[in-house]
Amino acid sequence: MAHTEQTAEEELARLRAELEEANRKLAESYKLAALGRLIAGIAHEMTTPIGSLRSNNAVALRSLDTLDNVLAVCPAPEIGKAREIVEVLRSLAGVDKIACERIVSVIPGLKAFARVEEAELRRADLNEIVRASVALIQCNCRHRIVVETDLGELPEVECYPQSLHRVFLNVLINACQAIEGQGKITVRSRREGDWVRVSISDTGRGIAPEQASKIFSLGFTTKPVGVGTGLGLAMSKESVERHGGAIDFESTPGVGTTFHIRIPVTQRRTGEKAGV
Amino acid sequence: MQIDGKPSVLIVDDEEMVITSIRAFLRLDTDFSVHGFTDPVEAARFLEQKPVDVAIADYVMPRMNGIQFLARAKQVQPEATRILLTGYADKQSAIQAINELSLFQYLEKPWENAQLLLVIQNGIERAQLLRQLRDKIAELDAAHSSLKGVQTRLLKAFM
Repeated sequence: MAHTEQTAEEELARLRAELEEANRKLAESYKLAALGRLIAGIAHEMTTPIGSLRSNNAVALRSLDTLDNVLAVCPAPEIGKAREIVEVLRSLAGVDKIACERIVSVIPGLKAFARVEEAELRRADLNEIVRASVALIQCNCRHRIVVETDLGELPEVECYPQSLHRVFLNVLINACQAIEGQGKITVRSRREGDWVRVSISDTGRGIAPEQASKIFSLGFTTKPVGVGTGLGLAMSKESVERHGGAIDFESTPGVGTTFHIRIPVTQRRTGEKAGV
Repeated sequence: MQIDGKPSVLIVDDEEMVITSIRAFLRLDTDFSVHGFTDPVEAARFLEQKPVDVAIADYVMPRMNGIQFLARAKQVQPEATRILLTGYADKQSAIQAINELSLFQYLEKPWENAQLLLVIQNGIERAQLLRQLRDKIAELDAAHSSLKGVQTRLLKAFM
């Protein structure tokens, strides 16, 4: 009798834990959806002004060249000052060009992140997704972290691209946060038979052996409140496993960590989807 | 169609800055005559009066969206090339536009001048070829009916 009661209690506790986890995931997906809408709005608001700025900048640079050519053959003695002004304007326009390109390079990443809901599998170039993720991360940490990419030739992979984009982004953010001060992140991609592997290495503080088993657990974080939610890697693992893939890592404390994400090139068909 | 012998491009975007930017770059790089509108309804009215080679429309605009505008353009001037230039990365609307409007090109903002220019130039060429084709067909039709007339007269003469 006592035994049955204990089993029932255990069962109840297990169910309660499952419910709590489901609730947490639900709350997180609401948060992600809201964030996605916000980011979509920002990306959309940016495109028109930056499109205009970039276009104007190209016109200004070309016009300054033309103006300078005209001034070069002008005989008037005051022309020296005018050409000096053209030179200054040209250097400013050159800086604007770089500034515009930097903003423009972020937009595909924002747009990709914004598409939270994704119903359909697509064939996608994982290197493209990796590049978009790296571009996003670079705006945050370019002053202290060098990001190197070594992207091999890959077949198109059947996947939910935005979901993988968030996985790469999560792992990259973790890599950035693991590095104190200066450091390096290396992103490699390779084909391995019917699989594609993306490896993200950092020269950060590494993962302590006693934490290794908990790292993919929901709610586990070593980051301060407001920085880590303990959701990133748990959700990443879920996304990767939804693809029939695997995520794991190797780490040496004080030296760095490498995360390996493996995704099959084609998705196994369930009965319902057979022949699609 | 050429107004004053120049290729003609219409741009409609509710943001004045887009029109100003594109107009400036086309003015320096080309001899196209550019007609800019911030109001799609006004732009549609213009299309009813003046032929253009290329019509470029933003997607999200008050009163009439870009797809509705380009649908109108297709009715009024079927030979004009239709281009959607949008910051709204909505694939569904793009697919709808391409299928329903036989859209020539779907461009995403931020655009690149060189690419936009290439698309406009191709669009102008296409519109002008279509117009030539239409004229040739009309000529052929005319030649065909006059042949018919000759044939009828010949038959009458011999019968």
